[in-house]
Amino acid sequence: MITLAYSDSPDIGSQIITKFREFGDVAVLSSSGNKDVFARYGPVSMHIFSEEENSEVVSAHMISVINNGRFDLIAIGSTVIGREVAGIISAATKMNAMAEISEIKIENGKAVTKRFYYGGKTLLEEESDAKIFTVSPGITEPREATSEPSVHELDPSTGKIKLLEKIEKKSSEENIEKASVIVSVGRGLGNKDGIQKVEPLAKMLNGVIAGSRPVCLDYQWLSEEKQVGLSGKKVRPKLYVALGISGQIQHIAGMRGSRVVVAVNKDKSAPIFEESDYGIVGDLYQVVPKLIEALKN
Amino acid sequence: MAYQIIVLAKQMPDLELIKPDPNTGEPVLKGVSLKFETLSKNATEAAIRIKEKYGGKVTVITYGNETATQVIKEAYAMGADEGFLLTGYPGNNPMNTASVLAEKIKKIPHDIILLGNQSADSYTGLLPGMLSSLLGETLLGSAVSIELKDRIVEVLKVLDTNNEKIQATLPVIVSVTQEINEPRLPPVMQILAAGRKPINTEKISAAGQYSRVISNRAPKSERKRLIFEDVDKGVPEVAKAMKEAMR
Ligand SMILES: Cc1cc2nc3c(=O)[nH]c(=O)nc-3n(C[C@H](O)[C@H](O)[C@H](O)COP(=O)(O)OP(=O)(O)OC[C@H]3O[C@@H](n4cnc5c(N)ncnc54)[C@H](O)[C@@H]3O)c2cc1C
Ligand SMILES: Nc1ncnc2c1ncn2[C@@H]1O[C@H](COP(=O)(O)O)[C@@H](O)[C@H]1O
Repeated sequence: MITLAYSDSPDIGSQIITKFREFGDVAVLSSSGNKDVFARYGPVSMHIFSEEENSEVVSAHMISVINNGRFDLIAIGSTVIGREVAGIISAATKMNAMAEISEIKIENGKAVTKRFYYGGKTLLEEESDAKIFTVSPGITEPREATSEPSVHELDPSTGKIKLLEKIEKKSSEENIEKASVIVSVGRGLGNKDGIQKVEPLAKMLNGVIAGSRPVCLDYQWLSEEKQVGLSGKKVRPKLYVALGISGQIQHIAGMRGSRVVVAVNKDKSAPIFEESDYGIVGDLYQVVPKLIEALKN
Repeated sequence: MAYQIIVLAKQMPDLELIKPDPNTGEPVLKGVSLKFETLSKNATEAAIRIKEKYGGKVTVITYGNETATQVIKEAYAMGADEGFLLTGYPGNNPMNTASVLAEKIKKIPHDIILLGNQSADSYTGLLPGMLSSLLGETLLGSAVSIELKDRIVEVLKVLDTNNEKIQATLPVIVSVTQEINEPRLPPVMQILAAGRKPINTEKISAAGQYSRVISNRAPKSERKRLIFEDVDKGVPEVAKAMKEAMR
């Protein structure tokens, strides 16, 4: 089987190339910025474009690469651009797409995949004739491989979308996916200054601070790559401490892999307690200092 | 300038009420109430705000089952002008959903189509791209703000590592994220009026499925669930457990 792989994210792209090499050769569509990274993971060919990366441009290139080659599978990293590209390609080529897969194997020419359903409440395992996949981060550990890919520079295409301004997001160095202790805060924190009040707890536990979606996106109390959940990072620390997080299913989908979960919430019927090993019903501003005291002993 | 706006909205089960069957782990949907899908509601709110700001008309289209009249009624109560309910929904099949919606959209004059960027229940995120391809209209995706100047649309797009201000000429498709707005709660008078407004219903003949479900289960949760309502009793116990967990 031959796969055409694409991602605008170097991390997910490297994982996808590694994963789909299990099924045969992998050709890669890449921006010129990512090509050196992807080349390390053993592609047979590289198709490179140098325009600003957006779903319109990428889809146009991908369709021309598909029309000029023979591919059995198309694997696309599930990012904002990736999901848009997958939809465009699927409708344009009439190949079915399976979205947000977290596992894949090929059996008798059919794809057997897993993905979250009902907002993360269930894991859906399906067999399908899908040829296009959007792949969630974490499908496999990237493994480098040597290869001498053929390199094809693609002719620039023009699109209808005009980029007026690129706004960099503030980002931090800490990677919550690799942390072994996470102190995670939700809307129950009430305000940004609350972060300083819980930081000593994180320090004491040698942990990092993460948060729910409203905290990272709406209020920006934390930077966006600190978001845990279905549309954020999937984390699996030894200890996950949820402070003022209600535990909606989309949040649970990101922290379910944690070994021990502790929750503090003032509402005793908050769903987070269903997903916790230990819980304290109370105001986090009273509980956190007491926990710090108790941990000192 | 007034705009002809189409918004795509669907219904979903109330996710928080779905519980796994204790024996099989399969989700029990019986008795679970249905509601306006989260992102569809943000898209509807965005459509109505455009109408309120610039003038125009909002048409809502839902592809679902008879129960989804509720979505159209709620959209009316929020301020939508006309609603189409396409029934005979065969279940989650993005390509089928996109083609059915595209066929309907082609018959309705429009400047801008609004929808969610990734629905809260099925979470595929494929529809925006599929519609863009089927209709040949530019996709401005994952918007947190939308500005219009005559035929020019400007959108703030949220990407994974940066944001972009992008621009295109109408007609366009705009997919929105949850952060774009806080959907309104319509006043009772509007809810009552919405109940009397006609809904155009059309039956669509069912398409086949391209996938077969092997299993659909809630991941097993084996949490201890030791919850302390007395803070002073809980703190020492929990602190001890935290220390142990870190080993
Ligand atoms: C498609 C989609 C994807 C999503 N993806 C994600 C995702 O990746 N991650 C995510 O987190 N969410 C995600 N969400 C949003 C999710 O549905 C919830 O809205 C969100 O998780 C709620 O965040 P929260 O728990 O911080 O806030 P709330 O639900 O408002 O909960 C706040 C909690 O704090 C408690 N509280 C208040 N004050 C105190 C106090 N002083 N002390 C102790 N407790 C207090 C309250 O009792 C309450 O339980 C997604 C939603 C959709 C539709
Ligand atoms: N059956 C449907 N009828 C109307 N709109 C839909 C339907 N399915 C999805 N949508 C719209 O498409 C958005 C994205 O859905 P999806 O691509 O399935 O994640 C949703 O938020 C809705 O706005």
